[in-house]
Amino acid sequence: MKATLNNFGIKFKHMPLLCDNESAIKMTQYLVQHSRTKHIDIRHHFTRDHQQKGDISIESIGTKDQLADIFTKPLDGKRFCKLRNELNILDFSNLK
Amino acid sequence: MKQMKNGTIVSQGKYIKDMIKKFGLLEAKSMSTPMGTNDQLGSDASGNMVDQKLYRSMIGSLLYVTTSRLDVMFSVCKCARYQASPRESQLKATKRILGYLKGTHDVGLSYPKGSSFELIGYLDSDYGGCKIDRMSTSGTCQLLGRSLVSWSSKKQNSITLSTAEAKHNSVLVVVHNCFR
Repeated sequence: MKATLNNFGIKFKHMPLLCDNESAIKMTQYLVQHSRTKHIDIRHHFTRDHQQKGDISIESIGTKDQLADIFTKPLDGKRFCKLRNELNILDFSNLK
Repeated sequence: MKQMKNGTIVSQGKYIKDMIKKFGLLEAKSMSTPMGTNDQLGSDASGNMVDQKLYRSMIGSLLYVTTSRLDVMFSVCKCARYQASPRESQLKATKRILGYLKGTHDVGLSYPKGSSFELIGYLDSDYGGCKIDRMSTSGTCQLLGRSLVSWSSKKQNSITLSTAEAKHNSVLVVVHNCFR
């Protein structure tokens, strides 16, 4: 995707990633070894690498504003509609 | 695809209408969501088998719809896992998605004009979401300014032992997508 954007003449250096889990954020920020994280080894260093280069930065976001929720769990009607609108999936039958 | 003064809209309204007609669900009830919050879709080995050909063609058509309707992406992918031996409960879930699409066939992806070009990624995962093998699902989406450019919903390849690990796997999905 970086290459595609470059082709369009958009240079992007830094992408914030919004995640709603604090410990996953901490894991990429600090090199901690822990009995529960020891098996997350090589893949872990891959993201750390990108973070240290400044390509990504992992930031926290409240569960309410997490737009990716719609891709992982079945939601109730209200929240589903809210997320759908925020992702710009709009009803255009009345827009014509 | 529609161009308007303030942006562009991509939708598959006609295709969805045709699809509902093809599967004879014109009288089906319109639903507000593609999947109930408490739907426990499992392998349901004791349920009655349904016509595999019908189930597969439904899934095939629905998968095409997900190119513009990412709101049904998760539920379609979930139903698509049971294509090998579809049961009544799974067919019911698939029909519910079609019912949802019927109620919202005029919905499409919109790209507003004049938005900034900042790339923001969102990521999430559900820990142990799959009822059969307890694997997690990662969901990611990237927005360029206010318009959605890339998204994914995928069952992870390994069993994770904590929510943090599941989320971390989603981070990897995004990084792989963007910096390959």
